[in-house]
Amino acid sequence: MKRNFISIAAILLFTAVMIVACGSRDKGPAELAIKTAEEAVNIAKTEAENILPDQVAALESALASAKDKLAKGEFKAVLTEAQGLAGKAKEVVAAAKAKKDELTQKWTELSEELPKMVEAIESRVDILSQAKKLPAALTAEKLAEAKSGLAAAKEDWTKAQESFKAGSLADAISVATSVKEKAVKAMETLDMPVPEAAK
Amino acid sequence: MTGDNVKPAGGKESWDAKQYHEVKKGDTLWKIAEKYYGDGSLYNKIFETNRDILKNPDAIQVGQKLHIP
Repeated sequence: MKRNFISIAAILLFTAVMIVACGSRDKGPAELAIKTAEEAVNIAKTEAENILPDQVAALESALASAKDKLAKGEFKAVLTEAQGLAGKAKEVVAAAKAKKDELTQKWTELSEELPKMVEAIESRVDILSQAKKLPAALTAEKLAEAKSGLAAAKEDWTKAQESFKAGSLADAISVATSVKEKAVKAMETLDMPVPEAAK
Repeated sequence: MTGDNVKPAGGKESWDAKQYHEVKKGDTLWKIAEKYYGDGSLYNKIFETNRDILKNPDAIQVGQKLHIP
């Protein structure tokens, strides 16, 4: 009876040692995987935070979860999650680059063309302001509305340029789009032809 | 009025914010200014803008494409 008890205890002890040994064997790779994932997430944060903030936040949340598992000793789960996370971080960086290229192209187009629209409206408003009588399709109220829209568009354009200089490309485009909408409305009010690309 | 707009030949059309008027028989700068500005006396604005193709405000040619500033 005593011998059996000793044998069972020895087996249990051996099993426990093996479990701990196997777990410890995964600890180093898990820590390394977390380090690699953290570096990849940091790169994604630098490259993509302004362009794809939601995706960067998801990466950070997943990294925090993996770190939590590391602290709890769930090394196998950490290995799987951290390796996947590094891959996802690279995908986010690639997606951000593509999005940034697209936004840059859009900004270039808007920054070249919107000032011309605003200039055309300003010129027309200046001339109409000198007219003793307005065209049949335009009332004094409509002209005042167009002037107000022009002033708002110019103000927004300054804000869009400031956002661009501050590195907020998405914000710059968002405000520039508002400039375009105001310019289109002013052109329609003044009975001017709206450029096809601005419709 | 916008329906009378004429696209510039060979120009960049997609974002072109300029308005053009193709001169028709019987048109004068005064009449064109009246049409777009409501005031014929502002004809000089059109003349000055189109000095590259107009030498005399009283001598416009049918078919000319005038930029209406």
